[in-house]
Amino acid sequence: MNSARWQQINHLFHQTLERDAGSRESFLRERTTGDPELYQEVRTLLDSHARTEGFLDEPAWGIAADLVLGDAAESLTGKRVGSYRVLEEIGRGGMGVVYAAEDERLRRTVALKALTPEYTRDPLRRERLTREARAAAALSHPAIATIFALEEIDGELYMVSELVRGKTLRDELAAGPLPPSRLVPVLVAIATALEAAHEQGIVHRDLKPENIIRREDGQIKVLDFGLAQTPSRPNVQASTRLTERGVALGTPGYMAPEQLSGGDVDARADIFAFGVLAWELATGEHPFGTDMAAVLARMTELIEGRATGLSRALPFPGLDRIVRRCMRARPQERYPTGGALLADLRELERSGDVAPATVPRDAIWWWQFHQTAMAILNGVMPAAVWAVRRWITLPQGSFLFLATLMLATVSVTLRLNLLFTSRVHPSMLVEHRARLFPAIVFADALLAATLLVTAARIAGDHDEVAALILTVAVVILASLTLIEPATTRAAGLLPGGPKAG
Amino acid sequence: MENDRQSVDSLLPIVYQELRRLAASYLRRERPGQTLQPTALVHEAYLRLMKDKPGRWQNRAHFCAIAAHSMRQILIERARARNAQKRGGPRHRVTLDEGLLAGGERSIDLIALDQALERLATLDPDQARLVELRFFGGLTVEETAEAMEISPATVKRHWTIASAWLARELEGNSQA
Repeated sequence: MNSARWQQINHLFHQTLERDAGSRESFLRERTTGDPELYQEVRTLLDSHARTEGFLDEPAWGIAADLVLGDAAESLTGKRVGSYRVLEEIGRGGMGVVYAAEDERLRRTVALKALTPEYTRDPLRRERLTREARAAAALSHPAIATIFALEEIDGELYMVSELVRGKTLRDELAAGPLPPSRLVPVLVAIATALEAAHEQGIVHRDLKPENIIRREDGQIKVLDFGLAQTPSRPNVQASTRLTERGVALGTPGYMAPEQLSGGDVDARADIFAFGVLAWELATGEHPFGTDMAAVLARMTELIEGRATGLSRALPFPGLDRIVRRCMRARPQERYPTGGALLADLRELERSGDVAPATVPRDAIWWWQFHQTAMAILNGVMPAAVWAVRRWITLPQGSFLFLATLMLATVSVTLRLNLLFTSRVHPSMLVEHRARLFPAIVFADALLAATLLVTAARIAGDHDEVAALILTVAVVILASLTLIEPATTRAAGLLPGGPKAG
Repeated sequence: MENDRQSVDSLLPIVYQELRRLAASYLRRERPGQTLQPTALVHEAYLRLMKDKPGRWQNRAHFCAIAAHSMRQILIERARARNAQKRGGPRHRVTLDEGLLAGGERSIDLIALDQALERLATLDPDQARLVELRFFGGLTVEETAEAMEISPATVKRHWTIASAWLARELEGNSQA
């Protein structure tokens, strides 16, 4: 058969199909007179169509899922692997099937993870895994499932670790949000695990409810530091950093924007995941919505910097503030490590439920006063330079005036905008201020410089006025370097500083 | 067109890698019994790869075409590997929902389907591509129409005869 013939068959097939069922046969006979082969082709296709309506309608991935799961399907239960006797399958993790097994040399029960072939066949991934296991095995902490060994047995790789039996937080979430009395201790336990890992330079990279187990005795254990890797140090060659760039590891929905976009990831990515997790444990819902499409849409917004905050507040204001800081889109606005996070959580635990998530009144008052004062001072400056511009040679005087006007306008506008935010959207202030502050510094510094030049130009002829302008320039600079940081810190508006409360 | 083909060839490995990894992690995350949503997978892969190098993809349709082809490759490769493992044993058959096929036949031989699709491509490349987009890429009629720049009605017409033809080919194959 060739294409032309196929076109002919197509045409006749559809023509016949358009007729009502009773007249199809006669129509087809009539059209294929003298061409029994054509009749046969169209007839069998019509039969096939009638019999197999819906054939292939379900996409291949839906029906062939087990193919992708691949070799993991073959169970090791009851078999002997090296010196391990496999007892039972206890789960399927991100990297392979996990079994409970008896280590016959040391006579203890361990978790044996048979790693999928993707990890073992590719030398690059294999080497990365070996490094990760080595790093993670150095971690010894009650809230971290200890890695004992990475063993190669008959060409396959097995990760041997502490066996933790209990329920994952995902299982617990199935029954709804955790009550506050249980929530905070769980979060503190996870944060202690992160603190310990981050101190060793190890990042989990895939923190999520599935990876955290409450052991039968109540101890919280974070599993699978297996995906973690030691962050690159400046003296390490790029070639030894084995994470392929641009390929994000981890689970979308818990991944920080920088992780999802395949950028460099450090402890602050774990902090982000912790925020998502904490929100989920507190509310029973994922902060970005219930279905994958919604989550992905929100993540895209986060990457593009379009959405910053969360739409609603957690019922516990103290926790709300901590979670919001964890989930900031920009890593530098989050807690730097698990240790900093832990400090705030411990305080939350101590104080029961802590103060509302607003900045203290007195401290913010000074900050607001400072913003107002600077806005007024800067706002007056263009008028001052306008008044003295005729004492300066003409083009230069006009230029200095225009520069002052422009810079003062920028500075005043931004400061008034911050004042407005502090009144109307106090919860967004920290983030907003961090975003605008560099521009304010820039405008104010240039304004001070312009004023200094102006003062220099008129000095000699008009010393008093020059001294006045000089003073203002110095005030602006001093304010920028000394007063502004002080009032900002006191108001708890620095992302890295002590929190307000 | 020649240019287009070339760019598809160079992009394929990237999409293939990403989809394979995503699919595996999806399946492990999903609760048993749940099926994989190819569209969610494609969406996610697209999102990640777009962030990586936005200029590389002409548009979503371009990406979908490559993704569908990658998915086909992944599945066929896996099915072949599975068969090789069973050395001479019966071919791996993918079970379809009961009742989907009235004739009592309830499985698809993916490798036979792949070969039949190759034959269809010699008769009508567009129809073969359409089947790839819908069956392996999981695209809806509307999405397929958009990706192929034809009307949804034309997609339906092509789909009707192509699936009837493929079903007939597979039946002939299993009888032989």
